Amino acid sequence: MSVLIIIDQAPYGNWSGREALDMALSLAAFDQPVSLLFVGAGINWLRKQQNPAPIQQKGVNRNLAGATVFGIEELLADQDALQRYGLGAEDLLDGVAITHYDQDLLANYLHVVCQ
Amino acid sequence: MMTLHILNKSPEHPRFRLCLEAVGDADQLLLIENAVLALSVEGIKLPGRIMALASDLDARGVSVDGSVDAIHYDGMVALAAAADRVISW
Amino acid sequence: MSQPKRNNEGFLENAWEWTPETASEIAREDDIDLENNHWEIISFLRGFYREHEMSPPSNRLFVKAVKEHLGEDKGNSIYLMRLFPGTPAKTACRIAGLPRPTNCL
Repeated sequence: MSVLIIIDQAPYGNWSGREALDMALSLAAFDQPVSLLFVGAGINWLRKQQNPAPIQQKGVNRNLAGATVFGIEELLADQDALQRYGLGAEDLLDGVAITHYDQDLLANYLHVVCQ
Repeated sequence: MMTLHILNKSPEHPRFRLCLEAVGDADQLLLIENAVLALSVEGIKLPGRIMALASDLDARGVSVDGSVDAIHYDGMVALAAAADRVISW
Repeated sequence: MSQPKRNNEGFLENAWEWTPETASEIAREDDIDLENNHWEIISFLRGFYREHEMSPPSNRLFVKAVKEHLGEDKGNSIYLMRLFPGTPAKTACRIAGLPRPTNCL
């Protein structure tokens, strides 16, 4: 079983992305292969420089870097979303693979979940 | 592999586009909840044969022509059971 | 010196107010005498929190992270259960001044 979780919402504005991350971590806890794909506004999760302390939140980028320690297999960034937000590979946290969102990509996963 | 895509977001929601891009030739698309509103917007091109949940159409006063299959909950269950994979957008 | 503020489950409100004395005090409430093996895990957790701003979300992931960091001998639930009785992730995070693990698994 391989699971792809799609995050298409920007960080900090609501809890949906956190819930998606929590789901991914729960799967990883039971050694289920799980990947996260960031598309649309969700791409902003992957920015290296984030300082949410002034808004009393924890850095999602730091949380994500922790996620790979727990066995989340891939962090995937959609190329179009990067372009839209003016981001390059050098702006992203380590360990992110750049990919292209399409039907072929989704076909690699037995389960696709959008939070 | 036949994937059933269940879409419940209105056409203005970014995930609406994400879903449409993911629908392959062999797939089926079922519009429920606010997604049925797409059927009253001109110019939205939906892939393949479209299904929509009748109760959600009725609830929102959206009427459809013969190009859309209005189905009920039992039909939705049958569709999900027949699919290899279900994605709830 | 006054002890840092804690919530109703005994977890620190602010992880940065933690000192080693805080750890000893919280551990005493659980009848745990902190020894080198405990401090090794506590310092791992502190480092993890500094880097990732999160506690290991669940007990299984706590064990997994310790295994990754300190190897199989210490990254197993029996070892951690002996050091931090109850739910090891919760007990250890409380003593290390981290937030409560969020996940129930």
